[in-house]
Amino acid sequence: MDAVLTVATLSAALRLAVPVALAALGGLVNERAGVLNLALEGMMISGALGGYLATNETGSPWVGLVAGAAAGALVGLVLSLAVVHVKANQMVAGLGITLLCTAATTYLFRTIFGIGTVPPRIERIGMDALVLLTIALFALAWFVLTRTTLGLALTAAGDAPVAVDALGYRVDRLRTGATVVSGVLAGLGGAALVCGPLGLFLENVTHGRGWVALALVVFARWRPWACLAGALLFGLCDALQLRLQGQATAVPYELFLALPYLITLAALVVRGRASRAPLALGEPFQRATT
Amino acid sequence: MTDVVSAPPTTVAPPPPAPDPTPVPPATASRRRRAGRALGVPVGAVVIALLVGAIVIAVEGHPPLDVYRSMVEGVTGSRFGWRDTLTRACPVVLIAVGLSFAYRARVYNIGPEGQLLVGATAATAWATGPAGSLPGPVLIVTSIAMGAVAGAAWAGLAAWFGNRFGASVVISTLLLVYVAEALLAYAVRVPLKDPAGILPQSRVLGGAELPVIGDVRLHVGVLLAAVVAPVAWLVLQRTRFGFRVRAMGHNSEALEANELPAARIATRVLLLSGGLAGIAGYIQVAGVQGRLIQGLSPGFGFAAITVALVGRLHPVGVVVSGVLLSAMLIGAESAQRDFALPVSAVSMLQALVVVLVVCGDALAYRRWRT
Repeated sequence: MDAVLTVATLSAALRLAVPVALAALGGLVNERAGVLNLALEGMMISGALGGYLATNETGSPWVGLVAGAAAGALVGLVLSLAVVHVKANQMVAGLGITLLCTAATTYLFRTIFGIGTVPPRIERIGMDALVLLTIALFALAWFVLTRTTLGLALTAAGDAPVAVDALGYRVDRLRTGATVVSGVLAGLGGAALVCGPLGLFLENVTHGRGWVALALVVFARWRPWACLAGALLFGLCDALQLRLQGQATAVPYELFLALPYLITLAALVVRGRASRAPLALGEPFQRATT
Repeated sequence: MTDVVSAPPTTVAPPPPAPDPTPVPPATASRRRRAGRALGVPVGAVVIALLVGAIVIAVEGHPPLDVYRSMVEGVTGSRFGWRDTLTRACPVVLIAVGLSFAYRARVYNIGPEGQLLVGATAATAWATGPAGSLPGPVLIVTSIAMGAVAGAAWAGLAAWFGNRFGASVVISTLLLVYVAEALLAYAVRVPLKDPAGILPQSRVLGGAELPVIGDVRLHVGVLLAAVVAPVAWLVLQRTRFGFRVRAMGHNSEALEANELPAARIATRVLLLSGGLAGIAGYIQVAGVQGRLIQGLSPGFGFAAITVALVGRLHPVGVVVSGVLLSAMLIGAESAQRDFALPVSAVSMLQALVVVLVVCGDALAYRRWRT
């Protein structure tokens, strides 16, 4: 493979890694606080549609990014209402919200643009800006999570909620905040997909990237920088897949379609032992009333 | 498999605490109260979803009552409406019965869609390939077995990843859906492709097609689903396996204390739910499509998750909710002809029902937790 192709593949890898990286960071923040987030895929797709509609309306993809983050935050708010306040089963509630978001975005997209018409292409953001934004957000998340009182309290809310409560922090409030931030990041990821490389919205445009992000959080053992590395690995596979698809090879191209998911599965299997999972992950906090 | 063990007890009714040891009424009273909550939450959720649907329809500028009437007439207006409803419900109910076992044991298999696709592919490969010359009934029975084995194997992969390597079953079953999609796409493009056609689809199943009954031509897969559901209920209520599945949902540590590894039960419920999804895949090919195509399933695997939860993870409740939710879809398809409303509105309302049911459960059982 000559140098030009290699560079093209690497830049494509970066481009494809950004949305997954942002969503994975969202999932990480959320799970560190002790809330499972099976709504990640739903947050992404909502952010994608929000970003698309806002960019189409205003002509500015930056407004689209903000709108995508807002749409994700809204989903995060709904999730936190369901699992932090009502204390519903986190598996089922998250999955239900993902199904709801997938159907709702399809419905909205179809009613707005009709079935026969071709939806317009939108203005796109250059890749460098998105990559820089992503790295900045990762640095910020790393700093907040490991170097500030708030971040330590948040992590402790996922490991020992009773102790955090005893120290005077509101566990449910920390978890709500983490869930909304997770929505912002995942929504941003969805918007970055649509306002970045694609420039258009399709039904189910995220195609399982939210689930990949969820797997990457486990792969990264709940650490931000490892998460970024995992997302880059996914992006590389996705880019290779796109490149190899174009060439006539003896290997069926469907294998390449499945490759990113296979690699993610492999990553999950290799580092699946959840030895560093937040101890109270998935358990609603209930203050003992004696 | 942290997710298998540590989820909070909301989908399964917790045992009544009965703090008051007065002798006479508690058994029946608490049972009646429990039944009231078990039915009240999903019924309430469906009513709220229909109200939300009415608002959505009104916003679109259509009269909600007329649309709902058109939906009901689309189902009950002709025998074909019923036929379509039952045909549509069949694969969903089969899958949801399997999911009832898995979810009761808190093993969250959310990728039955993939198990369905793999089952359909394997059964088609068998029926159009080596087994093509077998006599009809043998061919059908062996094809069902092929579908079941392939679906179970697909879910078994997730079980193996989970038990051996600690990978989350939720994530791995879901990721395997995308792998299954690619597998199906390859199968109909190359090895199973109908040599006589250009489209990526398999040959027609011929002798492996399901027989039909009555003048509306209802395929017999519907009967299979109607038999499987009550049998599953018996298994769940009356056998040791059923008891262990329920016990694992309540307290997996108690199982381990009795030297019953939770991992083995998790594997079994995954195999069972995957196998039923695989059979559903074969039934969809052999009863409806007639051949293997890419758009085989309009999300049956995901619809089944909704149906299982709304049916209270009860094999008979699943039949009721499966028929009801399928009727909504068939009705919406018929209403779509009269009013320009996308059918995806119905999927939206059904997903809303899931969220409402899980929240309603948490609220209804809140008083009993401390």
